[in-house]
Amino acid sequence: MLQALPDPAVIAPARVDVQAPLAVATDAERRRLADATRAWFARNEVNFGISIAGEVVQRPIPFDPLPRIVDSVGWAWLEKALAQRVRALDHFIRDAYGDCRVLRAGLVPPELVYGSTSWFRSCRGPAALRPGQITIAGIDLVRVDGRWLVLEDNLRVPSGVSYALASRRVLADLAPELLAGPRPRALGDYPRRLLAAMEQRSPEEGLTVLLSPGPANAAYYEHVELARLMGIPVVTAADLVASHRGCWLRQDGGNLPVARIYHRYSPEYLDPLGGRDDSLIGIPFLFAAWRQGRVVLANAPTCGVADDKRLFPYVPALIRYYLGEQPMLEQPLTIELDSAARRRKVMARFDDFVFKPVNGSGGKGIVFGPIANGEEKAALVAHLDEAPGSMVAQPVLEIERLACVASGGDLEYRRCDLRAFVVMDVDPWVMPGGLTRVAPGTDQWLVNSSAGGGVKDTWVET
Amino acid sequence: MAIAASRGPWRRYEIVHESIHHYGSDATRSRNEVRLQPLPRKGIHLESFRLEVTPAAETDAQVDHFGNPTWLISVEAPHSELRVTARSQVSIATGAGAPIAAIPWSPARLSRNAAIEFRLPSPRVPELPAIQALADDMGLIERDWESLLRANRELRLQFECLPGSTLVSSTLQEILDLRVGVCQDFAHVLIALARHLGWPARYVSGYLVPEAESEGYSHAWVEKSGPQMAAGSASIQPTKARQAIGTWQSQWAATTATSLHSGASSFPRRRGLLPRSPSGSPP
Repeated sequence: MLQALPDPAVIAPARVDVQAPLAVATDAERRRLADATRAWFARNEVNFGISIAGEVVQRPIPFDPLPRIVDSVGWAWLEKALAQRVRALDHFIRDAYGDCRVLRAGLVPPELVYGSTSWFRSCRGPAALRPGQITIAGIDLVRVDGRWLVLEDNLRVPSGVSYALASRRVLADLAPELLAGPRPRALGDYPRRLLAAMEQRSPEEGLTVLLSPGPANAAYYEHVELARLMGIPVVTAADLVASHRGCWLRQDGGNLPVARIYHRYSPEYLDPLGGRDDSLIGIPFLFAAWRQGRVVLANAPTCGVADDKRLFPYVPALIRYYLGEQPMLEQPLTIELDSAARRRKVMARFDDFVFKPVNGSGGKGIVFGPIANGEEKAALVAHLDEAPGSMVAQPVLEIERLACVASGGDLEYRRCDLRAFVVMDVDPWVMPGGLTRVAPGTDQWLVNSSAGGGVKDTWVET
Repeated sequence: MAIAASRGPWRRYEIVHESIHHYGSDATRSRNEVRLQPLPRKGIHLESFRLEVTPAAETDAQVDHFGNPTWLISVEAPHSELRVTARSQVSIATGAGAPIAAIPWSPARLSRNAAIEFRLPSPRVPELPAIQALADDMGLIERDWESLLRANRELRLQFECLPGSTLVSSTLQEILDLRVGVCQDFAHVLIALARHLGWPARYVSGYLVPEAESEGYSHAWVEKSGPQMAAGSASIQPTKARQAIGTWQSQWAATTATSLHSGASSFPRRRGLLPRSPSGSPP
């Protein structure tokens, strides 16, 4: 979700030298590498599903071979800042399912808990009070004038880490000389960290499985790849059965106990009796088993309450409240549009704002003031009259563009963000690197993979 | 569902609530959540509660967010019919000091923010422009007890109580459009009006105590909480004005269930299962 004023020339010169050494190669060399990496992604089926006319078509995710480089001091600061944010969000989730101290303190409107479609009464119970509701967080960052800003906290199903791993692997395979000099920090074996974090939550005997909605999911490549790297099976709902006593993998010779589930579901679909009753891919009583601590779910189904764009503006206050610390990361002003007066004010400066659905993902439903046409604007106004609480507005930001290899091998500058991955074991661990997402063209605003965006490797300097 | 009484300073009743789910084809297994155990309160004592399930099932009693005893039922054997019978024995104090129809509602017992929670829109009682219009039409302005009683009176005048006129799944908007319904629909409209006026209100379902030696009925009503009431709660019955026993619920159904059918696709297929009571649809 990126915004910037379209004047790449302003930022261009400064970026070239930090993207050494590929930036100083010739156009022909860069084009050869770009072609080779693209072929590598296709060969290894590093796919992301794009919805075309209602059908999900799996195709290789576009890759740009020029890595983003982050200096070690900047990264060390970012690690602390991200850990702080995720710790506070985890506190909030437990509080929202516990005493709701934060509501009584008047810091968060009660609608964001009791009125949230992601706050499940069926999830109240001992498991919702344990630290580590969040196992993985995907925090979306952008740089504006050299400062990092947070745009989103992804806590339901933070995805994309496998593309970051593939981005590193392709360069190691095809351009080992790039990694031979001052090496970037290793990605730190994310799959093993994730597995360890889940085992820390439940050291019980029993299987660890990855629960996938199935091959029609956009990130199915990632499900299979992560399961392979973690050494665990991929299962679907039909393979599992739950009761208040636990969860089992159905086998011909008898069911096998499942102790830990890394699920790739939006949580409301996990259990038709606890979440959405129209879920056809749910496992009845999974919440009952989870509630009593009979099975670990990563992330816990409670996490959605903190992954709501209406909560986003309150996160700095949550950090102060739960941790007693000053928030390190800044975030753009986020304006709720539920009041008609506020809506009018924002609409009067339509071109300065970007409008985002509160529960959206993948860049769906986002309206950019500066590029929206009259029809889109009218549709937005009508939609907001109908459902005023469904969207928020943020000011359009001039975010960082990074050098990318254009089709001719020359450089072009595209908007990029960074999805950082935080694994919560006893303490939060930030993967040194992350997924740099790249807008599909120089005039494009969205970096989301479902909007055709690509990825590049992220190098944290040692 | 049947309620039988015995005489004394405490009158004893037996409530038998039987639900039978028929499946078109054999279910290979099923999962049910059942809220049929009455809540004890002042003047009402739960002597015993028993849940019988056929075929044999594993059961577990838990307490839900609202404080209701909730029975989880897991059946693993193939079955074409599921029979759930809840037998409750309750004693009710008679004469002076007999309980009014309210379950004591201390928000602190539910969760400390219940007063806020029950004022907000909920899945079954969303915020609708039609409620504003109805409130205006009924002349409801003040957030006082009198307005709420007026809403209840007006509701009986403006809406028709017609057994069988709606489904358990009928939405609030449909009820407002049709202006007919059964007790659960009246309860939903009244909750919407109460919340519109700023009162926390919740949905309760349970049983009406029979007046004579007749059978009782299952029933649904509304409770609201507010500073004026010494007891902290009061109950309003849009369709009946009698003593009642009940549990409070977030949803309309006393049972929710899923079942997996043999020969089905790889995904479990869900069925809308309605509890069937021998005494017919709720009043």
